[in-house]
Amino acid sequence: MNMIEVNKLTKDYGHGRGVFDVTFEVHKGETLGFLGPNGAGKSTTMRHLMGFSAPQEGKVSIDGMDCTRQHHDLLKKVGYLPGEVALPDGQTGRQFIQMMLDMKGVRDGGRVEELLERFELDPGCKVKKMSIGEKRKLAVVAAFMSDPEILLLDEPTSGLDPRMQEKFISFVREEKKRGKTILLSSHIFSEVEALCDRIAIIKEGRLVSVIDADEVKHGLKNIFTVEFETDEDYAAFTHSGIAPESGDRSARKCRISVPDEKTNAFLKALSKVRIKQISEHSVSLEEYFMQFYRGGRKFQFGGMSHA
Amino acid sequence: MMFSLPLFKQSVRSNCVLWGAMTSVLSVLCAQFAALDMTQNLLFLIFYGMMTTILPGVYVLVTANKLIAGQVDRGSMAYVLSTPIKRTSVVFTQMVFLIGSLVGMFGVMTLVHLGVNQAKPLSLATAMGMGAAGGNEAMAAAVTGDLTSKMILQVNLSALVVCIAMAAVCFAFSGIFSSSKYSIGLSGAFVGVTVLANMLAMFGSMGVSGLDKFKYLTICSFYDYKSVLLSGSEWIVKLIFPALIAAAAFTAGSLVFKKKDLPL
Repeated sequence: MNMIEVNKLTKDYGHGRGVFDVTFEVHKGETLGFLGPNGAGKSTTMRHLMGFSAPQEGKVSIDGMDCTRQHHDLLKKVGYLPGEVALPDGQTGRQFIQMMLDMKGVRDGGRVEELLERFELDPGCKVKKMSIGEKRKLAVVAAFMSDPEILLLDEPTSGLDPRMQEKFISFVREEKKRGKTILLSSHIFSEVEALCDRIAIIKEGRLVSVIDADEVKHGLKNIFTVEFETDEDYAAFTHSGIAPESGDRSARKCRISVPDEKTNAFLKALSKVRIKQISEHSVSLEEYFMQFYRGGRKFQFGGMSHA
Repeated sequence: MMFSLPLFKQSVRSNCVLWGAMTSVLSVLCAQFAALDMTQNLLFLIFYGMMTTILPGVYVLVTANKLIAGQVDRGSMAYVLSTPIKRTSVVFTQMVFLIGSLVGMFGVMTLVHLGVNQAKPLSLATAMGMGAAGGNEAMAAAVTGDLTSKMILQVNLSALVVCIAMAAVCFAFSGIFSSSKYSIGLSGAFVGVTVLANMLAMFGSMGVSGLDKFKYLTICSFYDYKSVLLSGSEWIVKLIFPALIAAAAFTAGSLVFKKKDLPL
């Protein structure tokens, strides 16, 4: 069942900014990572899901309700962590929490205390005097206080120190286990890698791909660095119809990524030459996506697919 | 539910300092003008004629912007709207706060003036500015008796309605624009023109020829304390216009805010 549905969403802000024909869905109980650089359209999409903006074209809905027309109804089920840490002013952290509890109609404040303790936050002082990290923690408390079914988290760990980031990630992991549906937008690869079941990649307002996180991780393992005995071996291998991603002729080394279905072809090519050393390379998701962003090419696994 | 109490409380907390400051200054000025012999004849000309629109004008300019556009611009509106609240309720609650705070401001000032007037009654002749520069001697001569509590209430009601109209226009800019820059800019221009034109028109009424035309540039012209002091009824009729302006401006601001895309 789809809890969050974004269907052909288009919003053109001009100058190439906005989102164009974005379609994806988040199933019940699933965590979808929404990955993209700054200005790619992550927040714009979130804005539509929250009902802050109306789509030019397409439709966004949460739990079957239209986000533009019924946002006040569906927000009863949604916890939202804004990317912006500017909190309503003139109050202490405690007063902010009380205001959010009242506005959400939450009677039981027990969960708030739990969250405050967990994130080591003292809400006694004025919001204005708080650090960015403390404000972010208050926002986290506000997003999770009503124990909502659906969570929209817009770059949730920005502003948190590494130890708190870790705490936050393990907290979200627990929420995930409790069956929450989560859309997590981020440009931080490690948190997406740590939390998400699937990853939607957005670039310049267009959804480039929606992929399974396991598939990515699995696909990433098959990257090899091969060092050859002689120049002839190097030449023979690189001309065998297998295109290495990068090669260094003078060092007789090359780097190649191999998708599962090309494993045999790869081994066959290797068997024909003399090899000095071979190592399997573990690449982080980050490296992988950086390459993807820089290259500006369509998402694909391995370097052999165009061989 | 149109009204949100938690949001109202936040608005009170966020705006109480400026409200307190403006209300205190107004009350102190009012007491001073009404109590001191040398300023009594300027109570209506200077205090009610100018201060009761300038100071609340500054207050509504800053506050109306903070209530909506400022929060959209800063992004803090995202927290308010992340709760199951309709935008209509947000805008309604903020409007109630803005009007309510003005009512409170004039309420406090009125009580202060009533108190001072009890202790030290003011003759209507003095109130009309007899002997003061620009005072209307002919008119002053026509009135007898003291300034009554009823007149004080009527003058303040009249000033209040005009200030609410000013607040409504600022509120409309605040609802229409998502950037403080435009909201404050246009509200500032509006309030500035309104109070400056009022001052110039006042000089005009004191006999500086050519300046009296400025009364057509300001909604403060609908605020007619002279009519009150002369026990006339014109002041009531004149209040219909600012009331209509207020209704139209509040409606326009609310409708735009309800429909528009918020850059949150």
